[in-house]
Amino acid sequence: MKLKELKMIDIQFLGLVNATLQAATLLFIAALGELIAEKSGVLNLGVEGMISIGAVSGFITAINTENLFLSIIVGIVSASLFSSIHAFVTVILKQDQTVSGLILTILGLSLSSLIGKKYVGKKLNTKLEGVFDIENPSNILEIILAQNIIFYIAIILMIVTAFVLKRTMFGRRIEAIGEDLKSADSMGLKIGKTQFIATCVGGAFAGLSGVYLTLSYVPYWTDGMTSGRGWIALALVIFGGWKPYRTAFGALLFGFLEALGPRLQTYGFEMSPYIVKITPYVITILVLIILTILKNGNTGAPKNIGIPFFRENR
Amino acid sequence: MNKFLLSKKLYRNELATFYSFLIGFLIAIIVGSIILLIQSKNPFDVFSLMLKLSIGSVNSLSNSLNKAIPLILAGLGIAIINSVKLWNIGAEGQIFFGAIALNFVYINTSIENSYLYIFLLLASGFIGGSVCILLPALSKVLFGVNEIITTLLTNYIVFGLTIYLINGVWKDPNSLNFPAAAYVSESVYLPTVFGKLSSGFLICILFTLIAYYIKDKSVFGYEMRIAGGSALTAIYAGISAKQKAFIAMLIGGGFAGLAGAIELLSQTHRVSTGISQGFGYTAIIVAAITGMRPLGIFLVGSLFGALAIGGSVIQTIGVSSYISDIIQATTLFGALIAQFFFSYEIKRVKDD
Amino acid sequence: MKNPILEAKGISKSFGNIKALDDVDFFLEKGIIHGLLGENGAGKSSLMNILSGIYIPEKGTLTINGQLIKRLNPDLASSYGIGMVHQEFRLIDSFSIKDNLTLSKSNIYQNDFSEAFSKYSDIFALNLNAMTPVSELSVGEKQKVEIMKLIFHNSSIMLLDEPTAVLTPQETVQLKESLETLSQEDEKTIVLITHKLKEIKDFTETIYVMKNGKMVAKDLDTKTVSDTQLIELMMGEVKTSKFDKNNFKGDTKLEAVDISFTNEQNIKTLQNVSLEIKSGEVLGVAGVSGNGQVELANIICGIIKDFEGRVIVKTKDVTGKGVKSRKKLNLSYIPENRLGVGLAPGVSVLDNSAIKEYFQASFGPHLSKNVLLNSLNDLINKFSIKAPDVKAEISTLSGGNMQKLLMGRELISNPDVIIAAQPTRGLDVSAVDSIHNLIIDQRDKGSAILLISEDLDELFKLSDRLIVMYEGKVITEIETELATVENIGLAMAGINE
Repeated sequence: MKLKELKMIDIQFLGLVNATLQAATLLFIAALGELIAEKSGVLNLGVEGMISIGAVSGFITAINTENLFLSIIVGIVSASLFSSIHAFVTVILKQDQTVSGLILTILGLSLSSLIGKKYVGKKLNTKLEGVFDIENPSNILEIILAQNIIFYIAIILMIVTAFVLKRTMFGRRIEAIGEDLKSADSMGLKIGKTQFIATCVGGAFAGLSGVYLTLSYVPYWTDGMTSGRGWIALALVIFGGWKPYRTAFGALLFGFLEALGPRLQTYGFEMSPYIVKITPYVITILVLIILTILKNGNTGAPKNIGIPFFRENR
Repeated sequence: MNKFLLSKKLYRNELATFYSFLIGFLIAIIVGSIILLIQSKNPFDVFSLMLKLSIGSVNSLSNSLNKAIPLILAGLGIAIINSVKLWNIGAEGQIFFGAIALNFVYINTSIENSYLYIFLLLASGFIGGSVCILLPALSKVLFGVNEIITTLLTNYIVFGLTIYLINGVWKDPNSLNFPAAAYVSESVYLPTVFGKLSSGFLICILFTLIAYYIKDKSVFGYEMRIAGGSALTAIYAGISAKQKAFIAMLIGGGFAGLAGAIELLSQTHRVSTGISQGFGYTAIIVAAITGMRPLGIFLVGSLFGALAIGGSVIQTIGVSSYISDIIQATTLFGALIAQFFFSYEIKRVKDD
Repeated sequence: MKNPILEAKGISKSFGNIKALDDVDFFLEKGIIHGLLGENGAGKSSLMNILSGIYIPEKGTLTINGQLIKRLNPDLASSYGIGMVHQEFRLIDSFSIKDNLTLSKSNIYQNDFSEAFSKYSDIFALNLNAMTPVSELSVGEKQKVEIMKLIFHNSSIMLLDEPTAVLTPQETVQLKESLETLSQEDEKTIVLITHKLKEIKDFTETIYVMKNGKMVAKDLDTKTVSDTQLIELMMGEVKTSKFDKNNFKGDTKLEAVDISFTNEQNIKTLQNVSLEIKSGEVLGVAGVSGNGQVELANIICGIIKDFEGRVIVKTKDVTGKGVKSRKKLNLSYIPENRLGVGLAPGVSVLDNSAIKEYFQASFGPHLSKNVLLNSLNDLINKFSIKAPDVKAEISTLSGGNMQKLLMGRELISNPDVIIAAQPTRGLDVSAVDSIHNLIIDQRDKGSAILLISEDLDELFKLSDRLIVMYEGKVITEIETELATVENIGLAMAGINE
């Protein structure tokens, strides 16, 4: 009897871990992409729209071709192309990044709804399988091993991004531009080109996150299914102080809260699941305020974020 | 090899914003047409139907203007806050919170005179909007916390709160399938003025004038402009930039809160998730596209209201309503592109 | 000249109707430290901006290493080995010294960084780990890294804009030695741009002097040229004042008593400064900029409040009170920084014209645009300001008209006290004249005027008395009649007999 109870709790717990990892993966990939764009000084508030574009294009490809690999590629490429609108308007035409990013979200959401209209309610026959074939995972290690390929890609991307930004010339140059446009210019760095590429890389990451959403997390398509995850991703970048590993920790925390919501009652808590759902947002605001106070206004944000670069020759 | 040199134009055409809008709208119509053609629909037929169904009769016109009310009010709030060069991305949440505050007051009070009651309820909506932006405003002026993120996150908190309320303490037991709060009494409905046009539109006109007055004709608006122009000049002039920013944010939030209150009293008649359908976000487009000018916001808001109605009715002929969202967003992108050519000069330089 | 590495001939450049450079010649010889001397606004920065490809000259030719350059741009300039150290550093604070030195694609020490770094650390006496973030460096150390950056970018011609302005005397000596080593051992060509006499004499082998956009002296041998010669070249002949100095002086209107101030960087920028100005009197403050003048003006005008000492306006003690207390006592401030402090960029001409007394046009919360427009029209007529469109942004006005608008706005109310900082900097001759007339008019109407300027001409012309500020202290106080270019010029350089 006691053993059986224990087993139940165990399964519940493993379910929670699994859900946490999945929710975190989704958030983290998009946040990491935004981190790269912001490191180069481009604030892209269009994450929500880009995820949505990646999600719908990946899903449609999967339905029509049943080729998951191709679907992932299509999702990434289309979101990246979509983000190039933002790059064009802000980097080349030097328009306001806030306005452009917001509109990218609105456009992305409506465009993906339009494209995906015929596919609402369709179910995918294939699904991204776990990398290792584990039937009924019985401990945390097995849960981790049972995750699909995108989970592992996310981990690799995290390590690679952190390494590239901190340790390579290429990464340091990206960061130099986001920190100080004038100094970077005096070093002869190609500001426009770098920012354009970083923005599109950010879009590609968001696309991957979107593909994860429709091919694995909830394998169907419906309007507005991104439900604000793009905005959480933006908040995660701040939460993580523009550092990949800290952002990953933030993603796990947020993923945990998202996964915990619907499970609270099974743990015997009286708290409303709706209130649990808003806790990540409340925590982010509080963390943001506390970080700003502690660091005296310096949250670790790239110093020249959001400033269009313009060198006047006369 | 050719190189391009950019330089900022000293003189900008006074009507640049207006022309940019027209160019943007034209681009958007072209993009919309292409999308329709891809779906093998005749763009001309679709657009003329949209036109007919959004402004072709008193009824459809009043529907369009009703739809415009929250866009205009929230847009005005955003414009007021932008006078001090701050962004309010939280209008969506403020709209909901305005409705929540209204309902809270409605539940806890009772006034015989329905005009007085309506006035009180609208005022509580306004105050609700201000309360909703209080935390972002305080954290901005006291600690310098980025207001874009805080106002935005507030949207999700308020939306979550709304769902919590309409599924919990405020849940109307008669509404089984669709979670919502109980309806307010018919006595506090905003009366219509002609056709289906809500008297909320008159309030909207009034507040457009108020916003115009605050921004362009008042001492406060003047101080906001100076503070927004240069923090050092504000110090030099003895103007407290932080105080102006704080007050501007409260007023701007209030405008959006009022939009929520009007929406409740004239359209939904209860708190539900339908209080706003992304009005707070569309309002950002409306405000940005007009260069934050109140009268422009009124006109573009009305146009976008008509677009939204047109978009929702063409669903009957199998065209997605999202076409109007796409047109709205593309208009702003087109306008941004046009703005570039109004503000920069491009010289082609031959390298040899 | 033997064999110049860089040759600029007949360079002209104008901005609007101001000739920034007028037929300027400039030659650089390899491995030599050159001095470029001149007052602020003499055209030194414009010339340097042309050499580094930022400005495109209207006339003139540029030859580098015997090669005629048709059209220079910043990238091209650096590929020709021209590098510049600006007054505001171009270093990324959060990055390490190493990153700042090596991130550029033109870095020549990619593979042997540590050797190069230790070599130049020795030359610059820089005792730091290459991984130290720049934000932890002192200003002097940043300066060294900035110069090192040029070396790492393979610059053979190094333009240094006022490099000593931020250095302590010891650091200055150190810099001199480092630059000498660089020019001798590495054959670097160095240009030291400055308005400090002492340093140009200490550092350089040959001196060029600019005044009013013209090169007034070329290739002077540092060893033989005298201080007085240089001062005369730099400041020109001081014209005798055409203004009547028999002005009546009344009661004391402004008094600053024993003012000391320590800024946020913990530097004591003002030490025991006292002054007193009577009605109808102009007190000139001479001094190289950055010697405490801005702080003094900000303290008198109530912008800085946490200082020691007292400020008394019209017998009222306003110490610790803000800007508005001064406005009530009819004190006007014409700040040095026109656009950015005195005028708000991005805001219309009309709005900017009302910053001082906009509340005069208010009725409760209402701001009467008509009243504003009327007073602006008054300003425009009275001070002959050319403003084609008053609703357009302030930046559509020329520099002279901006300054006239600012002056007019501050003077139209007949202020009792006027603080004017660098009121004519960067303006053309006719604008300068009309602003001088405005100041004298105001003096004769009984204002007490504090005139802060670097232009000795202006100070001699307008002031009744002069004080010279050096390193936050008043080191000389003298009646204008007794002042000479020599004694003021030397005091400005910190030499006080």
